[in-house]
Amino acid sequence: MAGATSSPIDAVAGGGAAAAQRIVHRRHWGAWAFGVLVLALFAALVKAAIDSRIVDLGIVGKYLFSTQIVTGAWNSLALGTVALGVAVVIGLVTALMRVSGNPILVAFSAAYVYLFRGTPMLIQLIFWFNAFPTMFRALHVELFGVVLMHVPMTQLITPYGAALLGLSLAEGAYMSEIIRGGILAVDTGQRDAARAIGMTGPTLMRRIVIPQASRIIVPATGNQYIMLLKSTSLASAIGYLELLRITTDIYASNFRVVELLTVAAFWYLVMTAFATAIQTGLEKRFPHR
Amino acid sequence: MIASDAPAIRALGVTKKRGAQTVLSNVSVDIPRGQVVALLGPSGAGKSTLLRCINHLDTIDGGKIFVEGILVGYREDGDRLHELADVASSRQRRRIGMVFQSFNLFRHLTALDNVLCGPLHVLGLPRAEAAALARKLLAQVGLAEKEASFPNQLSGGQQQRVAIARSLAMAPSVMLLDEPTSALDPELAQEVIATIRQLADQGLTLVIATHEMAIARGFADRVLFMVQGEVVEDAPSAEFFAAPRHDRAKAFLARHK
Repeated sequence: MAGATSSPIDAVAGGGAAAAQRIVHRRHWGAWAFGVLVLALFAALVKAAIDSRIVDLGIVGKYLFSTQIVTGAWNSLALGTVALGVAVVIGLVTALMRVSGNPILVAFSAAYVYLFRGTPMLIQLIFWFNAFPTMFRALHVELFGVVLMHVPMTQLITPYGAALLGLSLAEGAYMSEIIRGGILAVDTGQRDAARAIGMTGPTLMRRIVIPQASRIIVPATGNQYIMLLKSTSLASAIGYLELLRITTDIYASNFRVVELLTVAAFWYLVMTAFATAIQTGLEKRFPHR
Repeated sequence: MIASDAPAIRALGVTKKRGAQTVLSNVSVDIPRGQVVALLGPSGAGKSTLLRCINHLDTIDGGKIFVEGILVGYREDGDRLHELADVASSRQRRRIGMVFQSFNLFRHLTALDNVLCGPLHVLGLPRAEAAALARKLLAQVGLAEKEASFPNQLSGGQQQRVAIARSLAMAPSVMLLDEPTSALDPELAQEVIATIRQLADQGLTLVIATHEMAIARGFADRVLFMVQGEVVEDAPSAEFFAAPRHDRAKAFLARHK
């Protein structure tokens, strides 16, 4: 538009003066005012907490890296991680059953998800630990009269065994729905194209559908991992020595409730940071295309 | 079982229903090797369905389809036709190429990986060999420099040419093209049409469902005109365009001048 001839745009903008005028963007005064209010309320809360003189930071420091607490945190992390691994396998199998089209497999998978997603995890854990071993006394495998395996249930269902079983099965129901959603999100054209070059069902699942579904499944699974790491605290109810159980055992004897809950919260935050880092790394491997 | 004089594609009384609706009604047609056939007809005439039945992506309710003399998708047992197992059907599809209206490139793979996917995972070629073949085919469709691009980084015309290369990588004896240019604007359609024309010149058997006159009139040998699941007119391309016999064909041509 620049040139010797005068255009209508020049006339509207007032000619050469346009370049010299500074643009002032809208200020969001309301949001700033609200921000100041939030800060003030938060400061008042912190002051009240300090003035109460109930928290002894020395106690927090003493327990933060103590062997007991670190062992508990490690047990929680290990339990949550193994349970997630088992849950992913359960979820994948039941999701494939659900999309198989076979009425028995579909019904079985749907019933599993409904039952295990529909009842509280805590009830499930208590059931596996307390009720299950009384219903089934032993794991007994016998083939043509030869006993291949006979283990009393009380040996299998330790607090750890029950917690792992309970968390894996409950979490598997959530993973099943997440994986099913991911599989359904891959459009049928992708399947048609894979079929058209001669891929069999299993190959097309492995090479085309699952990799594409993963970009939906991975972020949701990261979220589930974080929830599961915190849900390991439910295992304290059946006596597994994870982070919360060890924490409550300690404050039951020294009454330093706030300090020890702070210590536990710190370690849950560390675990969450760990899970988030893994999730971010995985998301980079399955970019949105 | 492979008779060297068998037509590339033979449909015998093919019928398909979808609920109460008849999608294909007693379609019988022989397509000799090397012929380029344009499937014309209004939307919903059954063109796509016929193509999808030829490679058994869709099942049929009656009749038989042979590709190079081999019964597709079924096994004859007296007066019954048993549908083949997944593995056997998949094996048959290796030699029946297909190109889709919406390209359907594998979104998570680069252009190169899209093309080498079949040779690598279906034929079991070593990766280096599959990649060499894929590079050759990408060069053939004029996209050698795009091998590292993902589908969402390519134009529609480029995506469709990669899809053609992906199909060619399986060394198909026939190729089914389902409205290959319908999702493209006229300019991009031209480059895809040029690529398809190359295939025709190489002597590949092509069946192309299309509304594109540059294909049907330009280089197709033969036109099959379908209405409501029936082939109502079957004529050499020049003859069809010079003097269509069926009323619907006349009306159709009047609109696509």
